[in-house]
Amino acid sequence: MPLVMVVDDDQDLAEMLSIVLTSAGMEVDLVNRGDQVMDLFNTNPPDLVLLDVMLPGVDGIEVCKLIREKSMVPIVMLTAKDDTHDVVLGLEAGADDYIVKPFKQQELVARINTRLRRVTKVGTLEIGDLVIDQMEHKVLKSGREIPLTRLEFDLLATLAKEPGRVFTREALLSEVWGYQHAADTRLVNVHVQRLRSKIESDADKPEYVLTVRGVGYKAGAARV
Amino acid sequence: MLRNKIKIRKSLSLKVLLTSVAFSILIATVIGVSIHNRVSATIINEKISISKIETANALYLAQGHFNLARFQNDAGLNKVVQDFITSSREDGSLSGRETVILPVVEGNNKQNIYQTVPTLLVLDSIPESFREQVRKADEVLDKRVRIRYSDGKEFPGFLIGGKLNIPRTGVYEIYYLFKLDAQYQSISNITWNLFGAGLLLVILIGLSTQFVIRQVVSPVQQAAAVAEKFTHGDLTSRMSISSDDELATLGKSFNEMAVSIQQQIIRLENLSMLQQRFVSDVSHELRTPLTTLRMAAEVIYEQKGSFDPNIARSSELLINQIDRFELLLSDLLEVSRFDAEAAALGVVTFDICGLTKQTVDFLHPSKSALFQVIAPDGPIQVEGDPRRIERILRNLITNAVDHGEGKKIKVAIAESDKEVAIGVRDYGLGFNEEDAPYLFDRFWRADPSRARSSGGTGLGLSIAIEDAKLHQGQLLAWGMPNQGAHFVLTIPKLNGDSVQSFPIALIPDDLILTVNRV
Repeated sequence: MPLVMVVDDDQDLAEMLSIVLTSAGMEVDLVNRGDQVMDLFNTNPPDLVLLDVMLPGVDGIEVCKLIREKSMVPIVMLTAKDDTHDVVLGLEAGADDYIVKPFKQQELVARINTRLRRVTKVGTLEIGDLVIDQMEHKVLKSGREIPLTRLEFDLLATLAKEPGRVFTREALLSEVWGYQHAADTRLVNVHVQRLRSKIESDADKPEYVLTVRGVGYKAGAARV
Repeated sequence: MLRNKIKIRKSLSLKVLLTSVAFSILIATVIGVSIHNRVSATIINEKISISKIETANALYLAQGHFNLARFQNDAGLNKVVQDFITSSREDGSLSGRETVILPVVEGNNKQNIYQTVPTLLVLDSIPESFREQVRKADEVLDKRVRIRYSDGKEFPGFLIGGKLNIPRTGVYEIYYLFKLDAQYQSISNITWNLFGAGLLLVILIGLSTQFVIRQVVSPVQQAAAVAEKFTHGDLTSRMSISSDDELATLGKSFNEMAVSIQQQIIRLENLSMLQQRFVSDVSHELRTPLTTLRMAAEVIYEQKGSFDPNIARSSELLINQIDRFELLLSDLLEVSRFDAEAAALGVVTFDICGLTKQTVDFLHPSKSALFQVIAPDGPIQVEGDPRRIERILRNLITNAVDHGEGKKIKVAIAESDKEVAIGVRDYGLGFNEEDAPYLFDRFWRADPSRARSSGGTGLGLSIAIEDAKLHQGQLLAWGMPNQGAHFVLTIPKLNGDSVQSFPIALIPDDLILTVNRV
């Protein structure tokens, strides 16, 4: 059973979340304060973190950064404000996805499952000297492994699978994040930036993940 | 701002300047003309009266000589007379005076006729009537005439006429013709000088008026500029006060007014900001308990199969009301964003036709038979926020379904060069003319006693019109009792343009048809 760490200062909501997630077949660890996250994280590393942005002690954005320093675990943020800077800050701090309160339980479970799923595919993909090992979920650049979050790996693999195809942001939201309806395109923009900062030699002159102005993104042409 | 400056200058400065220049021209003209008249009359009259006295003296002297000469012989007398004539003419040639001597009765003495007329002089220059007067008078007379010459020259001048009694020869009329061209020349000089002085005076008065105006008007202009800035929202703008005059008093009063307005506005701004913050905070704070509530309700709802029917139905109602509550909350939040002017357009280019069709299909799949969508075949690309446009459409369509009484609903899309319009027409209850101004008000209901059929929040149309405004668009409504309503959204295709024409007319074209049917 996957272990989900729920970080929320609202006791009732946290309890309700744990009821819902448990009945969806997950194990749940509850944390009420931001400054308690890392202790538990170290002793009992979860498969996914569900993180409220507004937290006493250390706030959600900060917690996100602390987790990312140690782990590539998927992070989904809970936020009551979808119109503020908080969302972008959270994504930039390393969150993979976010859910706006109030949400339906099916939506929550679907989001979490998308992030937990690990579709193992056989074979390797290449963009230039970048080797994407789909079986081992590893990315090698000139033989050296680059640590990527699961979401970043999925994003890269999706682009690399069909070199030359231009993916719109909506298409990526559907394929990588699992959104059926239009969602926040900032998700794509922020994660492409994060991915580039890890794999590109110069993030300002990307070679592997290219922007197609006004349309979306595509994988860079493989160099022979 | 510049236009206003010109306006002020026009209304005040130019007016004062023109008035003062006009008055000074009038005064200068009156004074100039009267000086000119007095001076010229004096010059001419002086000349005439001096000449008259001199002539009278000369004639008296000559008459004396002639009287003495009567004791001489004819030759002696003749010499005396000739000397007199010669000296008269010589004197005259120096001063431009002509001498004319004519016998009173022509041909009364055959021996010595001392008739003297300058060669070129036209004798008509001496009018017969004047000669008549001279003949009768005992003294020297004068008259203004024009002196004419047979070569066509003509001079202004005057005549002085008298009589001489030459012994043994008879009585003669003697006329001196004085030219006044020198006098007229100096009068003309004086005229020009006067004119120049008058012009100078007018210019000086104009300049000094301008200077005075600038002293008065430039602070007024400054005040106007400050007031303008204030009007445009710069509440910190104040007038600078450097003197102690009336303008300074005006400036002081203005500044006091500005301070008081600024304080009021700041107070109101704070109040309204507090209120908006409160609405926003409440909406956000409600979201967390609502999330718990929703999940709890869903957990209960999922088990309803195993419940007693009443409890099962209650769980359904619970879920429905939570949905409604959530809608209300998000609408409230949206309204508070508009109030705080925090709503921003996420502009992308999208096909509004596709979006409209999608919205219609997605919103009421169960009622798709009701809808008739009239749209051009191709896509219509628009720069705008698809999320907001979709929300406008959703609100209009929900509204039409709510009030359409189950009759068909027509959704039309049309475009012009720069605009695109979407019309939503229903054939339901419609609304009264007196209700029209309140349609887009928050929580407004046409008939408070009527129940809501679809549980709209009452904020839909007011959010829709704000969304339309955000696109520089227009959302207009037409309605007639029992003949339905027509809502038309018109937005510019390019973000930042404004609506110039309306591809869909507000008054529906099928109105007559409807009237016939009803």
